[in-house]
Amino acid sequence: MTVLSFTDGTSEEHERMDGVDVVRVNPYVMRYPDFISWIEGLNMLMVERGASLGSFDLIHVHDWLTAYSGIALKHIWRRPLVATIHATELGRRKVLTNNSERHVHEMEWWLTYEAWKVICCSRYMMNEVHSNFWCPTDKISVIYNGYDPKMVKTRSAGQTRKDGKTVLFVGRLVYEKGPHLLIEAASLLKERDLRVIIVGEGAMRPYLEGLARKLDVSKKVTFMGRVNDETLLSIYEEASVLVIPSLYEPFGIVALEAMSLGVPVIVSNTGGLDEIVRDEHEGLKFQTGSSEALAKAIARILDDEGLRKRLIGNARIRAKEFAWETTTDQTFDVYRKVLEEYNSNNWKPKAD
Amino acid sequence: MHISWEYPPWVVGGLSQELKSILPELAKKVRTILVVRGDRDEVAEIDGMRLFKSASSIKCSPHILAYIHALNVDLVRGASTAIHEEGEVPVVHTHDWVSCLAGVYLKTCFGAPLVTSVYTTELTRSKALDSLLNMGIFDIERHCFRKSDLVVVKSHEMQVHLIEDFGLDKEKIAYARNADDLISAYRRLQG
Repeated sequence: MTVLSFTDGTSEEHERMDGVDVVRVNPYVMRYPDFISWIEGLNMLMVERGASLGSFDLIHVHDWLTAYSGIALKHIWRRPLVATIHATELGRRKVLTNNSERHVHEMEWWLTYEAWKVICCSRYMMNEVHSNFWCPTDKISVIYNGYDPKMVKTRSAGQTRKDGKTVLFVGRLVYEKGPHLLIEAASLLKERDLRVIIVGEGAMRPYLEGLARKLDVSKKVTFMGRVNDETLLSIYEEASVLVIPSLYEPFGIVALEAMSLGVPVIVSNTGGLDEIVRDEHEGLKFQTGSSEALAKAIARILDDEGLRKRLIGNARIRAKEFAWETTTDQTFDVYRKVLEEYNSNNWKPKAD
Repeated sequence: MHISWEYPPWVVGGLSQELKSILPELAKKVRTILVVRGDRDEVAEIDGMRLFKSASSIKCSPHILAYIHALNVDLVRGASTAIHEEGEVPVVHTHDWVSCLAGVYLKTCFGAPLVTSVYTTELTRSKALDSLLNMGIFDIERHCFRKSDLVVVKSHEMQVHLIEDFGLDKEKIAYARNADDLISAYRRLQG
């Protein structure tokens, strides 16, 4: 197993990690006018570097970001291509407004067209890939993501410090993650003794800080920025509830982390979250985009200890169904199936 | 194997006419495969050459640099089909930066010596590198020309330009104005 990836010069160009050869190329040997051409330059160097790495049975690429090199190497080597689509441009943006966005969208289509099999991390994403790219559903395998149980095991032995009023958000501060909805919900719960902790960074942070001031809840909202795992675990211990108010969420690993750590979750009823969490069973769901519905769910979960205990118990059991080992086994099953079909097919390199 | 983004009737600019004047003559003397961007994927014959047309898989790009990267993946599709179906080729010959990326891929993956004809460069077209787009194209040109085993020009001025502005060795540059010159250049490359 060789992983071809990127370096900005601060990491090794070749190292062995966890039994995997990691080979990195540095795209900063050239200049680029924008992100798309930067990605294309990276892919160009990946093809050149890939040629020197020997032969492989199968190529697996992730999203449009490595589609160019995957498609090129597929045809050069005549080896099968597998693609994982983690998210789509249309899903992120809802509408394609310029040629950069349309280029990314078309690259995603091209990748699903060229791939022997497409892997998606939820049924939601399978439907999105099918409807956005007319990719046949029998070409798509749904393989759920997992979470790292080591994170739970390494949790500090100290008692939880839950105060019954701390609401946590963990994620990038971008529109699709919906952090603004939590601040709006906090303002609707202004009369309550509430504390909101926001972990993560992103372009939206200045806007969110301004929104908290405008809605007069800035004293209740703390922006932690990016934190290390140890700090994050400590914050989880304080949290009475984790809120995932995403507007677009192909999977939602953070829900599994909270569920395994005994923190009740409130999630929007969209994407992978809708499949991980059953409403009233492993967590509470609210209508995507509604800060009013979110505020009601927060108040309900903070006020009802019985509900919290029931959700936490069910969520711990549910989280165990999502392990990276399962993801790995199912991915290898896809590889095996693809190679079986490939081996009984005439599409082979000339030398074969 | 010649790789181009245009050849009549698929015309973008002057390059197609340039190739139309040389490649049929070349094909009379050596077996020639032409890989070109076309309206659809197709294998055919044209002017005595085996033709592998590759359609552009995507239509929208924010600028020419983004488009050319994607186009060259399509050209690689056609060229790879040609090599796997028709056998390896002794030389891959590309024309300007617009098809040279595909040539570099084929050289690194199949080991075929790479010849690149340079008619214009970003510097001769734009006069100055005054935007990141110009610089990005120039950097791609420099990368590809340096990866080429032989660079073919038609004028002394272009030879000087490639030496001074791209740092190419004089020995790596050959003059070629017709099919016979090209065959001499190929022989020189193969020792």
